[in-house]
Amino acid sequence: MFAVGMVLALVALFVGDSSPLLAQDTGLPGTRVAGQNLRPYWHVFAAYTIVIALIGGWAFSIARRLRSLEERLVD
Amino acid sequence: MTGVRRGALGLTLLGLVGLIGLFWMSFFWVSTEVNQGVVQRIFYVHVPAAWTSFLAIGVSALCSAVYLWLRDDKLDRAAMCAAEGGLVFATIVLLTGPLWGKIAWGTYWTWEPRLTLTLLLWFIFVGYFMVRNATEDPEKGKRFAAVVAIVGALDIPFIHLSVIWFRSLHPQPVVAKPEGPTLPPDMLTTLMVGLGTFTVLFFGLFLFRYAVEGLRSEADLRARRSAA
Repeated sequence: MFAVGMVLALVALFVGDSSPLLAQDTGLPGTRVAGQNLRPYWHVFAAYTIVIALIGGWAFSIARRLRSLEERLVD
Repeated sequence: MTGVRRGALGLTLLGLVGLIGLFWMSFFWVSTEVNQGVVQRIFYVHVPAAWTSFLAIGVSALCSAVYLWLRDDKLDRAAMCAAEGGLVFATIVLLTGPLWGKIAWGTYWTWEPRLTLTLLLWFIFVGYFMVRNATEDPEKGKRFAAVVAIVGALDIPFIHLSVIWFRSLHPQPVVAKPEGPTLPPDMLTTLMVGLGTFTVLFFGLFLFRYAVEGLRSEADLRARRSAA
C-alpha cells in the first residue's frame, strides 16, 4: 500500500510538472545545464527521498509485522 | 533475541550508518559530473538499487530452485523474503531512473530495451506474490511462485546485456565491463560505498523479514495444535 501511495504521489507530481526543458550546455564555464535552474536539484532530492521512503517503509512494515506476531505468540 | 535477529540488527544498523555516509558523500564530497551536472548524483542510489534488486532476485531464484528440489519450507520462506526485498529495490530503480531521465534525456520514460525489461522484471515479481496467494492449496502456490521466481531471474542477464546488444538510450555499463571501471576515482568510491550500503541493508532487512516468517510459522503451528 505504501509503495502504491508513493507511486501515485509521484505520478501526480510528474503530470502536474509543466516547466520547460532545459537549454543546451554552451560549454562555457559556469553555464552548465545543471546550473540554469533548480529543477535538477528537485529531481535529485526526490530520488533520495524515494530511497529513504521505500527502504524505511519496508523496515517499518517488517517491524510492525514482527511486533504483531510477538504479541500473538505471547497471547 | 535469536542469532538471526541479532545478525539482522547488526547489519541493518551498519547499513543505516552507510546510508548516512553515502548521502553525505553524494551531496558534499563527490565532484559534479561535467556534462549532466547535479542530476548525475542520482546515479549513486540508482545503480546500487539496481544491483541490490538483481542480488535479491538472484537469492530468491536460487532458494526457489533448491526448494523445488528439497521441498524445505525454510527455503520457500527465504525465497519469499528475498523477493519482497527485490521488489522494493526494483521499485526504487524504476522511480529514480525516470527522475534522472527527464533531465538527461528530456523524458521520464521511453520504451527502450533496458527500461522495458526492468519493468517486466518488476511485473514478474508482482506476479510472484499474486501467484503465491491465488491458489487454494498453499503448497501448490509455493511451487508456482518458485517457478515464477526462476523465470524472473532469467530476465536479469538480458537487462544487463540489452544496452550492448541493442541501440539504446540508456548508458552503457561504466563499472561491470571487461576493461574495468571507467569512472573518476571519487565517483567510483561513492558508487562502491552505495553498492556496499545497499547490499548490507538488504541482507539486514532480509534477515529481519526471515525472522518474521519464522515466527509466523511458529504461530500457525501453535494455532493448529490448539485447534486439534
